Amino acid sequence: MFVVFATAKPMGVISVKKHSVLLREELCKGCTNCVKNCPTKAIRVHNGKAMIRDELCIDCAECIRICAQHAKHSQTAELEEMSDYKYPIALVPPSFYGQFRGVNPARVRMALFKLGFEEVQDVSLAAESLSRKTCEFLMGNSGIYISSSCPVVVRLIKILYPELTEHLIPFKAPTDAMGEKVRADALAKGIKPEELGVFLLTPCPGKNTTVFDPVGVKTSPIDKTIAVSLVYQAVLSVLEKVADVDEGELEVPYLGIGWGQSGGELQLLLAQMQDSSLSVSGIHRVKALLDEFSRNNIKGVRYFELSACEFGCVGGVFNVVNPFQARSDLRRLRSRGKSMIEHNEGYDFDLPGRFEPLQIGRLDGDLERAMEKLAQLEEEIAVLPGLDCAACGAPDCQTLAEDIVTGVASRSDCIFLLRKQMGDLAETLSGLLRELPPVMKKEKVDDKVG
Amino acid sequence: MQEQTLLQSKIEQGDFTRGGEVSSSLKDVLRKLGIKSETSRRVTIVTYELEMNIIIHSLGGEIEVLISSEQIKVVATDRGPGIPDVEKAFQPGFSTADDFVRGMGFGAGMGLNNIKHYSDQLTVETGQGKKSKFTAIICL
Repeated sequence: MFVVFATAKPMGVISVKKHSVLLREELCKGCTNCVKNCPTKAIRVHNGKAMIRDELCIDCAECIRICAQHAKHSQTAELEEMSDYKYPIALVPPSFYGQFRGVNPARVRMALFKLGFEEVQDVSLAAESLSRKTCEFLMGNSGIYISSSCPVVVRLIKILYPELTEHLIPFKAPTDAMGEKVRADALAKGIKPEELGVFLLTPCPGKNTTVFDPVGVKTSPIDKTIAVSLVYQAVLSVLEKVADVDEGELEVPYLGIGWGQSGGELQLLLAQMQDSSLSVSGIHRVKALLDEFSRNNIKGVRYFELSACEFGCVGGVFNVVNPFQARSDLRRLRSRGKSMIEHNEGYDFDLPGRFEPLQIGRLDGDLERAMEKLAQLEEEIAVLPGLDCAACGAPDCQTLAEDIVTGVASRSDCIFLLRKQMGDLAETLSGLLRELPPVMKKEKVDDKVG
Repeated sequence: MQEQTLLQSKIEQGDFTRGGEVSSSLKDVLRKLGIKSETSRRVTIVTYELEMNIIIHSLGGEIEVLISSEQIKVVATDRGPGIPDVEKAFQPGFSTADDFVRGMGFGAGMGLNNIKHYSDQLTVETGQGKKSKFTAIICL
């Protein structure tokens, strides 16, 4: 059952932040481009504004990509908020290194230190470790599994493919495992909890959402995220002042950095597993794949690496460099990697529970009543023109029909039905106009009598 | 609740381009009815296999899905040509699909097994030169 636009909140909770994708109302023209491109049909234009339905939004940022008015946007913390903490730590995701035209990752890290971070930690290290763990897991289990590292994919599955949640590999994402480790290490060093601020330099709103609505873990080890676009210039300006670093001295997790693009995770699996793995990126293609998988129509694949953004994390909307360039640069960096970093353990990837499916989109909690509503739904679909023009504010006629049945829209929201209603009304009116007042109807009456 | 038709659809022989449409719309309907996701997946897989069976092996037919408080029933009927040896048809790997169909990735000889595996009850009425009727039941 849809709860629309006003989300019911438990008593005593004033406001719960649910999503990272936001709307600048003053910029929204009500064009419905985002409505039609939303993979979960979470957006409706109401009163000329594209409103998001909380329970369906997975923060994939497709609406941000498609909005020509830049009305759909997203917010994260700013770089300056680092100074709120005495001991700020930067978590650097693999894709971040795709933003600097192949500059040595060690130099990028130095630049982040210069900006004021006390620690700069590579999520790529946790990614390498997770790859080892995934190999072990796949060897010890016979099932078919889906990578759970992209939080948007996990949310998509929970909402639209609840039957597939059991196929999500039961591990935390590298960002979460890394976050937990650096947090624990810092506290063990004597840093006080209130002094510690763990910042993820995020490529996407989807990861920002995990801070207040975690996927898999109970509470997020990350305090705040900062969009890549908000650190980019600062890093660039400092980079100039950072001398190049002697690579021989450093252990850069080049192979883990490969995770920043689609296919990078699979490349770290054992060769025989790579043969039975598949990598798919871009939310609409991920949906097409899951449709096939759901009807048991994908054979010979044991592991799926799925990313919501096309090309993987380098395709995240917060990145500055275009995904084609970033991907090419990241590939070149990855090719420098000979082997994974050794003695790189101490992460806890095991989930505290399992991924739970969500039941969304029911017409009614009672089967019999739901059947009645289904019949109503078919009636409405028969009445609607089936043009899927979205002028009503819903993405297609089917969805408008659902909204009518659940009582949040009406037939006259459809401009074609409205036009027909007006036409009928005009006909009735002109018919009425031809009706003469009784005093003038004499001849006709005479005719009848005669 | 008495048994009611949930979905009914004609299926043409060799119509691969529409293959999977019935099971896709069915999955959507089951979600609207609030059917448990595991049950929904079983019904979807069974329907998909039956749908593809009609497309690949029969002269065309129809799928009807019915629901009651206790169960979901998927009934697939076709216009022939019938299965001469049902037992053999259920052997894993047994298939009569031609190279064209196999080239498309179908006809690996697991379809009937899948249907049986995901159903709670399956009845097959068929014979050489006869129409076939598959009735798969999945309990709610």
